[in-house]
Order: sequence, then C-alpha cells, then structure tokens
Amino acid sequence: MYKTQTIKEKIVERYSSLVDNSDQFTNAVKKPLKQTFRINSIKGDKDKILNDMRNYDASIKKIPWCDNAFETDLTNLGSSIQHFSGQIYIQELTSMVPPLIVSNIIKQKTVLDCCAAPGSKTTQMAEIMNNEGHIIANDARHGRIKSLRGNLDRLGITNTTVTLRDFNSFPNTSADVYLVDAPCSSEGTIRKKNAVARKWRQHDYDRFSKLQKNLLKKACEMAPKGSTIIYSTCTLAPEENENVISQILDEEDIDLKKININGLKLDNGVTNWKEEDYNKEVKKCARMWPHHNDTDAFFLARMEKC
Amino acid sequence: MLKLIEKEKKDDIIKYCLERFGLRQKNLERYHWYEGSKNRIFIGPEKVKRINPESLGLCIFRLDKTPKPTTNFIQLFGEKINKNYIILNKTETVKICKGENLKKKIDVEAGFVALKYKSISLGCAHWNGEIIKNQIPKSKFCNINFL
Ligand SMILES: C[S@@+](CC[C@H](N)C(=O)[O-])C[C@H]1O[C@@H](n2cnc3c(N)ncnc32)[C@H](O)[C@@H]1O
Repeated sequence: MYKTQTIKEKIVERYSSLVDNSDQFTNAVKKPLKQTFRINSIKGDKDKILNDMRNYDASIKKIPWCDNAFETDLTNLGSSIQHFSGQIYIQELTSMVPPLIVSNIIKQKTVLDCCAAPGSKTTQMAEIMNNEGHIIANDARHGRIKSLRGNLDRLGITNTTVTLRDFNSFPNTSADVYLVDAPCSSEGTIRKKNAVARKWRQHDYDRFSKLQKNLLKKACEMAPKGSTIIYSTCTLAPEENENVISQILDEEDIDLKKININGLKLDNGVTNWKEEDYNKEVKKCARMWPHHNDTDAFFLARMEKC
Repeated sequence: MLKLIEKEKKDDIIKYCLERFGLRQKNLERYHWYEGSKNRIFIGPEKVKRINPESLGLCIFRLDKTPKPTTNFIQLFGEKINKNYIILNKTETVKICKGENLKKKIDVEAGFVALKYKSISLGCAHWNGEIIKNQIPKSKFCNINFL
C-alpha cells in the first residue's frame, strides 16, 4: 500500500513515455477534481432544475462537450434537495462518456450493462432512453447491488432489471448494446482524494487483465451480429486496455470503431507497450488523459459484432 | 419471486391513484406490473426469460389492507399529482428530509399525502388530522444544506 503522493509520482513516471506533455500531465494529476454532476430529466425539467440550483450555487458551469453535464465549486452537492429528490446524479465526467457514445443507438433498445454497480452509467443510459426500452444491470457483488438499487430508486428508473451474477456465467442474452465497464486498477481516479491509494498494487495489472478479457470475451460471444459492445476502464495501464482489446480482436469476430465526441479531446490507443506489440487496430481505441479535458483518466473501445 | 400482478389488484391501485392523488391512468399504462414479496408492487420492463432478477423496475406501492404509496412513487409521479399534497417551507423540508414528523394544520383528507418543496416532490407521508407522519425510508434520510 502506498501513500497517494507516492502513487501519483509512480503513475506519472510509468506513463511518461506515452503522454504528449509530461509537465501538463504531472500538473493535472496533482490538481484535485471539481465536483461534476448531471441532471436527471426523468425527475423534472432540466432548465428548471438548473435555475433552482443556481439560487444557491452561482458557480455552476456547463461542460461544453456534454449537454447534460455541469461542474461546481461546491464539494457537497450530495446534501442538496436536488440530490435527495433524484434530480441530479454526482458523477465523474469520464464516467459519462460511455453512455454518451451510444446515446443515438439505445432509445427503445435493450442494453446489457455487464458490470453495473453502483449504476452511474445505468442511470445515465436510462435517462437517455427516457426510461423506455430495457436495461439489464448486472453486478457480481451483493453489497454493490444495494447501492445500485438505491440509485435506481432515487433517480426513478423504471426500465431496468437488476441481476446479481458473475458475468462469466451469465445466461446468453440478446441485446443491442453491451457495456463492459470493467473492474480495473483504477489509476485513472488518481485526482480523487485517496481513491487509488487504498487499492493500488503493481502486480494487479495481470490479474485485472485476465479478469477483463474474460468479461469482454463473454459479452462478445453472446452479442448478436450488428450489436455494439463498449469496453471501458478508469485506468491508464495498457495491460488492462489495448492489450485486452488486441487479444479480443485476434480471437473474436468483431470490428473496432473509431470514437469521436465534439469538443472532447481523445487520444489514440497505443500499439506498443513494454516491448509488446498489439494489433494495429487498437489505435482506434480512445484514451482520456487528465490534462486534455481536465478530467480523470479513462479508456474506451467501441466494437461491433460481425 | 416476482409474478405478474392480478388484474383486480392493479385496478384497485389505479383507482386509488386517481381518487387520492388525481393521477390519471394513462400515466401508468405503459408499464408491466408485478407483485413481489411483502405485498410490494413494481412497475417495470417486460420480464426476460432465463434471467432471474434481483429486482425489476421500481417499487411503487405496498398492498397491505389499503394501498400504500412509496416515496419512489411520489417522487416519480409528483408532478402529475394534483390532490392531497402538502407544500412545505424550507424549515419543514429540512426536517422531513432528516426523517422527522411535522405538526401542522392543513386542509387535506386523512390518509397518505405527497410532500413537496416548491415543485420538487420529496416523498410520502401519512396525515391523520394532527401529525404529518414521515413515510420516507430511513435509507434516504439526509441533512439538507442546499435548497
Ligand atoms: C468499474 S465498476 C463499474 C461501475 C459502474 N459501471 C458504474 O458506472 O457505476 C466494476 C464493477 O464490476 C463488478 N464486477 C467485478 N467482477 C465481476 C464479474 N465477474 N461479473 C460481474 N460484475 C463484476 C464489480 O463489483 C464492480 O461493481
């Protein structure tokens, strides 16, 4: 177990060869993140909710690349009436990206959220879907299912079925979109106070990588032709990102698609790491570096089943 | 565990929603209705074969001797509720969100009521003519700093 400061230094050092600007990266990692949230229009009109909030918080700013995301100088919006009534959800900006990239294909559709708890992305997708269609939100841990259930209740989500299962043994289920928001070493959350410090261990990369590959493989195997599979992690480690996608590309019948979001800077996936070459296609994956958009770090891949 | 609700029970709830809260049937039509353990009523998506759900949709009622709306229900349909609701002031809202009851003179029929702060639906309470008895689940209690 390391102190947060030591981990920050280790992470900066580990990725200095991958990053475009080491100084900016180092500075961004040291800077704490602002609290960000999104509005849950299932519980009211977006403008009305914002106006109500602006009565006590003049610092609210809109995030340019996400219609529904906002940042604030307040640190405890969890004690606001909007949070109590489910009109807002406090969420990291990076975590909002996976639902955003499928927002135009999930309305009235079926989504299988393979590792869903505590439900940030499930509830965001439900809002995008206007509480229609169907989300199956699965997680393997009972304790985390409880927080998922709490969030679904608070946000008034009616289009979701919750299942408690190791996804590796999930029954074959046909869906239009599969989201594998995989457990990971969480390095990307380094700007959050103590978020990584509790968990970070060097040797975890291999363990996570195996786990992630199995989960993604399972989703790819059950996905019908033409369906979309999203893989995401909140780590910078290529072992858990491009490495996993590269193996899946070699073994499964899938195409990798490029990801674009207006106004959001996304870096390409890396094709080589620690003397290992990956399938060249993994360039199409997207990396989010903390200094590019003033966020956490994040990784995304968008696949289509052939 | 979850089974489709019997038609009479569903009709009773729909009738209660209209009579008690003025909530029209059309707001409740698009859902599949289920009955779970402890007489809990859920609205949600269609059940998928071969999947054994932990839960499905949202718990909106408990059917004891009479229908009892949940805070989930009041919060979700609050905007459409036009009868038997109580608008609270700031101090009362803070107390209710903390889990307290309120003593207040109001002109509402005895029974379950919807609590609102301005147009924000807070949850369910029971009015017995003297006390507004908080029905918000403990797990939701919160010290509100911003309103
Ligand atoms: C990164 S978190 C998911 C966060 C979530 N998608 C959200 O946006 O709120 C990863 C989740 O994977 C779950 N998990 C780990 N192993 C799993 C498995 N074998 N099957 C299903 N879920 C698993 C963990 O319990 C954890 O909740």
